Amino acid sequence: MTPAAPAPIVALEASGLGQAMRQWLWLYPSVEIVHVTGIALLFGSIAVLDLRLLGFSRGVSVRKLASHVLPWTLASFLLIVPSGVMMFTAHATDFITNPAFAVKVSLILAAFANAGIFHAGVFRGAERWDLGVAPPLAARAAGALSLLLWISVIACGRLLAYF
Amino acid sequence: MIQRLLAALLFTPALACAHHGWSEYDTSKALKLTGKIVESGYEHPHGHIRFEAPGKTWNVILAPPSRMERRGLEKGMLKPGAVVSVEGYPNRDKPEEMRAERIIVNGKTVELR
Repeated sequence: MTPAAPAPIVALEASGLGQAMRQWLWLYPSVEIVHVTGIALLFGSIAVLDLRLLGFSRGVSVRKLASHVLPWTLASFLLIVPSGVMMFTAHATDFITNPAFAVKVSLILAAFANAGIFHAGVFRGAERWDLGVAPPLAARAAGALSLLLWISVIACGRLLAYF
Repeated sequence: MIQRLLAALLFTPALACAHHGWSEYDTSKALKLTGKIVESGYEHPHGHIRFEAPGKTWNVILAPPSRMERRGLEKGMLKPGAVVSVEGYPNRDKPEEMRAERIIVNGKTVELR
């Protein structure tokens, strides 16, 4: 425990949930499994669309692919967020001072912003590059940035244990 | 710190090969210490004890509790006051921390890696 952490973070770690996460024999590993399953669904569903945006598999409709994978991307957060909050609670005072955690949260926000800009921008005209043609530069850039950001998020998640 | 983090990000595949945490410890400096437990946590992701060895109190990182239980090292065996021997390695950066390779409690040796 880090004494420098703010009081609500200290209280969160001392809560019943925090204690259960640390002390119940199989809760922590079970929650980790849910988190990793969620990440697999999140990254898998995002990566197939990003690769399509980069210009692979041009015979597959961008709009159909997006409408197939996006609900699964959103559903993955139902697995990731509660399990992530539970793991944070177990060692909240350590996470809050861990540089890898701050970088991870920042990268997630950047990835959300990238996705928002893509959907509000170049994706609106997707009927013009839906099939058989190279996606526009803005779409390729969004796909590449998305892959880079989410891989970095995964790296930071793993590095939490090493800082 | 940022530079260290970026360097670590670049070399993530190498890190992923190391088991959680061992790379932080200096395995060239094996320690074997006996002392009295003053505090213990049978907790995830790793259990720990603070114990008074001759001349120094160490924070000893153990294994996940599920592994310790499976190997017969139960929570009650790590109570404050218990005298234990620990073999392990010091942390490269935190002078009071070590990671235990094995622990000997009541004459029983439990491997922790």
